[in-house]
Order: sequence, then structure tokens, then C-alpha cells
Amino acid sequence: MPQLDLPSGPPLFRQFPTALRFSVQEQSRNRLAALLLGLFVPVWYLLMISIAGNKDLEFKLYSTGEMLKVGGRNVTLITAGMNSLTMISGFVVFDAVRKALNFDRRLAFAGFRQSTLIGAKMMAIGIVTASIALYTALALFLFWRPGFTGWGAILLGFMAMTLTYGSLGLLLGVLVKNDLEGFFLIIMGGLTDTFLQNPLGNPAANKPVLQYFPSFGPMQFSVGSSLGDTVMWRYLGMGLAWAAAFALIGLVVFHFRTRSRRPTR
Amino acid sequence: MTVRPQHALTARDIHKAFGKHRVLRGADLTVEPGQLVAVVGENGSGKSTLLKAIAGTLAVDRGEVGLRGELGYCPQDPVLNSNLTVDQHLHYFAAAHRLTGLERADELVQLLGYEKYRTTAAGDLSGGTRQKLNLTLALLHDPDVLLLDEPYQGFDWETYLRFWDLVEDLHQRDKAIVVITHLVFEQERFDLLADLVDGRLTPRSSQEKEPSHASA
Repeated sequence: MPQLDLPSGPPLFRQFPTALRFSVQEQSRNRLAALLLGLFVPVWYLLMISIAGNKDLEFKLYSTGEMLKVGGRNVTLITAGMNSLTMISGFVVFDAVRKALNFDRRLAFAGFRQSTLIGAKMMAIGIVTASIALYTALALFLFWRPGFTGWGAILLGFMAMTLTYGSLGLLLGVLVKNDLEGFFLIIMGGLTDTFLQNPLGNPAANKPVLQYFPSFGPMQFSVGSSLGDTVMWRYLGMGLAWAAAFALIGLVVFHFRTRSRRPTR
Repeated sequence: MTVRPQHALTARDIHKAFGKHRVLRGADLTVEPGQLVAVVGENGSGKSTLLKAIAGTLAVDRGEVGLRGELGYCPQDPVLNSNLTVDQHLHYFAAAHRLTGLERADELVQLLGYEKYRTTAAGDLSGGTRQKLNLTLALLHDPDVLLLDEPYQGFDWETYLRFWDLVEDLHQRDKAIVVITHLVFEQERFDLLADLVDGRLTPRSSQEKEPSHASA
């Protein structure tokens, strides 16, 4: 809240490391998410490839227009990875942001600049979601060795996806009224989004309408780079644009919800 | 130019409705430095709503609030982060207030008797200890104006008495303090009792507490 006499303590920029440290801590202390990450990710990979089999599929690369002939097992591993990390990153950030909203407002009233809290929160989301993406990409090695460039592209695609769903978690965390609504939206959104991109589960996977889903860009980028030989940075950018849009709206709402409402004269 | 209010706290003509239910209908409250004021009223009369409005956590429909100095607000339900320990809360709020050290925090933790929980996450604390931390965060920066919404809920008798020692110390140091209370037997501790009835505050005349330098 606005204070008439600013204390003459440490400079304001010193608040940032404190806010960042505790923001990372609050987001990474989710035991259920850690359990999901440790167990669910490898089990989900295993389950999905056992369903997928190993027949070849056609995957449309939009940058070149070509139909790529790819192993169904490998595409399924990428969508399975994206599928699990959308849920986990969305859940982790949503849960932390929602539970801490009143606390963040108390911090802002106590003298934390909202911009500091917002910056720290966003950076913490970046760190936590990148760690989730890294783990999910490393777990992929249990089932597939795509080569360094291919794996690197999958990791980047995963990072764009975790950042997107982490940002969606932030947006829902400051918007929705109760846990169930948020979890439902994240799980249904993530499932629908990633399953639709896989031609194995969805015969319409190569249709243009899929371009309007958040996982379209990262999926094109990951498949094109690991299973084709086309690195399509623009498509990674599309994924990041979704992340930026969710984050921006979420942070604006966060700003409004943590501001002082006192009717000062 | 900003005109500083004369009093420690002034709330004028505060109106707040939730749908058709008009909770506050022109509540006025003035508190001077060194004055200890109790806000009393039935359940649902709007006591917490009034404090939230003054603290700025709730938007009002009409009215204005003036403050002189820094504010400390202890909400009725502890506002803590379950994932952070007691010590992490203290460091976080010390950074918020830009304090150079944790001396006051150490003092408060010791006074309220919960040193052994300093490394425990807030989510694992008992209700009473959560309330102690909630109160500590409101007092950490030694504010000039204090709003305490039933601050001793869940305290044991010993801690309750220590709480009043603490309030007495703040009172002596000219802090302006507003406490929401239900307890009849503690009402003699206050300089002024203000009843919240029908959305307005009225000083309790039967107390004859010399409301000479303040009025509700």
C-alpha cells in the first residue's frame, strides 16, 4: 500500500532475489507434482507406446507443406511427453499461484513493489517449468535415442509447452474461484490440445484447424527437427507467443488483484 | 501538495454493500496516536469488512480513509504461505518493509513463544501458531497504526496475556490501535469502545472513557 514515509533500509532492487528465491520455493514444494513427475511421466511414455505400436504415420510439416513419414512410436512419445508436462506444469503453477494470491497481496501491501513480485513470479515459473521440461526430455532416453540435435529440439519444444501451460496455470490461478475448475480446465485443455496433434489418435491431425492450438507450434518444431531434418524456429516462436499471451493477461489480472483498494483522499 | 491528515487514522462515511445487503452505511472512525480502540458488534455486523476497507484489501462503494504513518493489519484469517517456513515468512516481510535486520521479528517470536517452530512450514503449524505468525507479520515493521481483527484467536491463556502486554507496550509508545473484540471482560482495557450497529459506529457512552481526543 502507498506509504507516506518510505523506510530508508536496503535499496528496492534487493527485494528481487528474496522474492525470486521464495517464489521458486513455493512452486517447487508440490509433493503431488513431484510424484507425478517421477512416476507418471515414465509410466505414461510406456503406456502410450505400448498402445501406439510401431507403424509408420504421415505427419504434415506446415513450414514445407510436405508429408513426413514418421514412426508412430516416436511421434507418440513426443505427444505423450507434451501431454504429461502440460498437466504437471499447469498444475504446479496454478496451485502455487492460487494459494499464494492473498499472501502476495499482503506482501505488496507491506511494501513489495508489484513489478518485483510479478518479475520474480514469472522468472520462477520459467525456472520451474524448464526443470519439468528437462526431466521429461531426459526420461525420453529410456525409450528412444533421437540424437543430440533431435533431442535438443524436443527439449526446446517441451520447454515452450511447459512455459505455455505454466502461464495458463498462472492465468487460471488469478482468475478462477476454486481448485476444481482450474484443474479441470488444465487437464482437459492439455489432453485435447496434445492428443489432437498426433495422427495416430486423431485422423484429422494434419488439418489446418490444429494451427489454432497452443501445442501446434512446439509439436511442429519438435517433430520437424527430430524426425525430419527441418529446424523451424518460427514454430517454436508460435509456442512462446501463446506462453507470452497467457502470461501477460495473467500478470495484468495479478496486478489488479494485488493492488490496494483503500479510498485515500 | 499532499495534505497530511491530523489524526493517526480517519475513516469517513464508509459504505459497503454485498449485493442488496448493505453492511456499512456511513461508518466513521477517528483514532489518535496512542489511542486503543475496540470495535464491537454482533456476528455479521461488518466489523471485519470495516477493517478490510481501511486496510485496502476490499473496495468500498463510498467513503475515504486517511492514514498518518505506516499501517500494520492483522487479518482475521491468517494470510500465510503454507509452503514457506516461519523464518522464510520473516525474511520475506523484512524485505518487503526494507528492514535491515530481524531484531523486532526475533523479539516478537520470543514474546509470543513459538521459537521452536521457526523452521516449520506454515502449512504444518497449529491454528494458534499460525495466528501468532499472522500477528508477527503485522507488527514486524513497528507500524504507527494497527488494525487487529480478533488477533488472539487460538491463543492459550499465557500467550493471550503476553499479547496484552505487547499491546500495552505499543499503546505506551503512542501507536494508534484498533482491535475487533467479542470479549466483554477485556473491554476496560480500551480507551474507547465503538459499537458497530446498522452499519455505523457509535461510541459507547456507558463506558465514560473520556473520548476527549477521539471520536468514533
